[in-house]
Amino acid sequence: MKAFRKGVMQWFLVCMVFALVLVGCSSGDNSKSEESGESAVSKGADTNVVEKPKERVKLRVEVFDRGNAPEGVTVTNNEMIAYIQKNFGDPNNIDLEFVPVPRTDEINQLSVLMAAGTAPDVSFTYNSGAVYNWAKQGGLTDLTQLLSENGPQLQSYIGDAMNYGVFDDKQYAVVARRVNLEKYTSIIRQDWLDKAQLPVPKTTEETYNTLKKFKEMNLGGNRTFPLSFALTPDSYEPIIWSFIKEQSDEARYLRSVTIGSREYPILADGHKDGVRFLNKLYNEGLIDPDFALDKDKKKKEENFVNGYTGIMTSDVTQYYFGGEESQVNQLEKNVPGSSVTPLLPWTDFEGKTRQPAYTPSGMYIIVPSFSKRSTEAIKYLNWLAQDEVIQYMSFGEEGVHHDVVDGFPVRNGSDADKKLLFNTGDMLVITNGIDFGSAERNLAYNGLVIDEKHRDAAMANRKMSSQDAVRQPIAFDKPLDSEAKNSTIMLEKYEELLVKAMMAKPDQFDTVYDAALKDFMSSAGNEVIAERTAAYEAMNK
Amino acid sequence: MRAIHYLQRYWQLYIMLLPVIAYFFVFKYMPLYGVTIAFKEYNPFKGVNASEWIGLDVFRNIFAMEDFYTALRNTFLLNGLDFVFGFPAPIFLAICLNELKFASFKRLSQTLLYLPHFISWVIIGGIMYQLFATNYGIINLLLAKIGIAKIPFLSDSSYWLVTYTSVGIWQSIGWGSIIYLAAMTGINKELYDAADVDGASRLRRIWHITIPGIRSTIIVLMILKIGDMVDIGFDRPYIIGNVMVRDVSDVLSTFIYRVGLQNSQYSTATAVGLFQAVVGLAFVLTANYVSKKTTDESII
Repeated sequence: MKAFRKGVMQWFLVCMVFALVLVGCSSGDNSKSEESGESAVSKGADTNVVEKPKERVKLRVEVFDRGNAPEGVTVTNNEMIAYIQKNFGDPNNIDLEFVPVPRTDEINQLSVLMAAGTAPDVSFTYNSGAVYNWAKQGGLTDLTQLLSENGPQLQSYIGDAMNYGVFDDKQYAVVARRVNLEKYTSIIRQDWLDKAQLPVPKTTEETYNTLKKFKEMNLGGNRTFPLSFALTPDSYEPIIWSFIKEQSDEARYLRSVTIGSREYPILADGHKDGVRFLNKLYNEGLIDPDFALDKDKKKKEENFVNGYTGIMTSDVTQYYFGGEESQVNQLEKNVPGSSVTPLLPWTDFEGKTRQPAYTPSGMYIIVPSFSKRSTEAIKYLNWLAQDEVIQYMSFGEEGVHHDVVDGFPVRNGSDADKKLLFNTGDMLVITNGIDFGSAERNLAYNGLVIDEKHRDAAMANRKMSSQDAVRQPIAFDKPLDSEAKNSTIMLEKYEELLVKAMMAKPDQFDTVYDAALKDFMSSAGNEVIAERTAAYEAMNK
Repeated sequence: MRAIHYLQRYWQLYIMLLPVIAYFFVFKYMPLYGVTIAFKEYNPFKGVNASEWIGLDVFRNIFAMEDFYTALRNTFLLNGLDFVFGFPAPIFLAICLNELKFASFKRLSQTLLYLPHFISWVIIGGIMYQLFATNYGIINLLLAKIGIAKIPFLSDSSYWLVTYTSVGIWQSIGWGSIIYLAAMTGINKELYDAADVDGASRLRRIWHITIPGIRSTIIVLMILKIGDMVDIGFDRPYIIGNVMVRDVSDVLSTFIYRVGLQNSQYSTATAVGLFQAVVGLAFVLTANYVSKKTTDESII
């Protein structure tokens, strides 16, 4: 028996050694092949007399996958990619590989790719905190030099937004432009107003009374939820901000926190009143009682198109987009006789329609420090910034993918259009929206993409969202460590605060709100506010 | 000398063992060096080795986090409920199935009961929302029809615990019973015949023959289950949980996901994982020891 045990032990040892050798070999092989690959590159460069045909290299580029590719194409294999390969890749001896990242899980996936050292050469995210964290840890390539050498067109195209990508005097990210700064819009059921014999409400009080009336009359049947509401920023942000009494920059620096790309005025005077108002709406049955389960707005949109909703709020004119399939069109189809009117439902203590707006910056485009293709990456972005490339990647060819209406290219909705341009925004990453040179022209263009029946209403609606709008978030000269570190926790705690306080019985509201706020502050809020205060004082020295 | 002789005779067996040992070594032991990042200020761009040692700072940090204790408490709470209600359920089911007379009916019901095990939690979560939602859920609509007030299955902490536990039992009961049924086939048929002759009732036979027959299986599984007390799957609490019940639904695995992955604090996540492993080991050893002393059955 003893001998048997000894035998087993020996065998076990042999196995361990064997496994070790195996592992050792494989990693050794890897490094060798990489080395030889590199030397081949340099050799190629040496021996070739002609400048252009260097060793063919591969450039990996991130692309969002929204699961919306038309039949027959994918986000990694489509006509747009063929166009890029032909016009940018082949002339420069570059093979492009597009790496799909699911849109909804974008930041988590990219974090893993970054940590694993396999993130694409051109990566991007909206999460400035994460970008700052990577920059601090040495995970990003400093693009200052590369941009001045290879990115002149890119720099002039993006202009001022580029400053958002400077941390500690180094350009760590190319920040896309954002052309349209409008954030949220609302519409109200005109047929309901007619039935209730009410005018379009103009103040928070009038809006509240209108909602009450809608509920009393059960205008959408038993499931009438007069106000659309989900556990998403487009539902709570417009209402909360209309209750904030403090307007000064100082108050925003010291009593707001930034979570992701949004500003939450959690300690500002009026925040509690805003939540109390939401609590009232909930307890009086004016919003969907299951709102907290609706984190992707699906239920909210369903309620609207099925005619249960009186006032609908969403990202700017979202409900008008989509041509015949737009939510408003679906509603009009589902509920005969229904129609909608744009409105600004919420007013603040001064009677102004204070509401959030975007800053003129979009995605943060980065090149990881482990990327060997940083030059090619910038060349690619620079190529994207050329007029004819922007034109083709946004609108395709005239007559095939778009028609010219009033001097604007308007996509024609054909199969060819959908096949080429279904994810144009995700491919042309350097800008969010197309700039036609002036605010009027941009507004006119934004109207043209909406079906004729609703065009005027949609344009009026869009114009409304700039009235008394405040660009958010208010930014420090660099992102704050504590906000970068705590962004997920803060968002979850904030949602918890909203849900608990809204769903509390009215007489328990104060207790619940105060406890939830205390929890928010102790888990991350205090740390963030302390850093904001210090940074604000440093800025004003 | 005898060892060599032994190996000459049975070397094929060891060759067959080799891949398994290699598997454990490569996938279970080698990654252990990554645990060192629990004691380091881990920077993924520098790598595990180049990151700086910071001693026990990460652990100090964790033990100062309120959310960690909530997550830990909830892990014990949810696992405790699963243990009390979820553990005996498959045993009960296996005994019932074992008593069935018609073989074909038994097979059919077994197959139907296994099915939920193969459905992903994501899908179960979707079905659950359709069934249990407070306002549109089918169950609440039916209750309303017979005049019973709405029950907040998903939005009230105590109801949620009931929902969580029962859905878990529904999902795993069939699968869990397989191993007991297998153990029951090993029971000598003559014992039952003898009991019959002695005039033992059905319950008596179950109590004195079936249960003692699967006792060792029960104990082994129980010890393993106790070892998993701090270890909790990610999908189930994450998918069934929601913001209204986060007080009870946030567990260690979702905590690790949130802190480690979503906030990129890999050192913290690893430290929590290590903590889980250590506590888990202590639990297994204790359960094993107690079982050895009291019933003479043990796994180590």
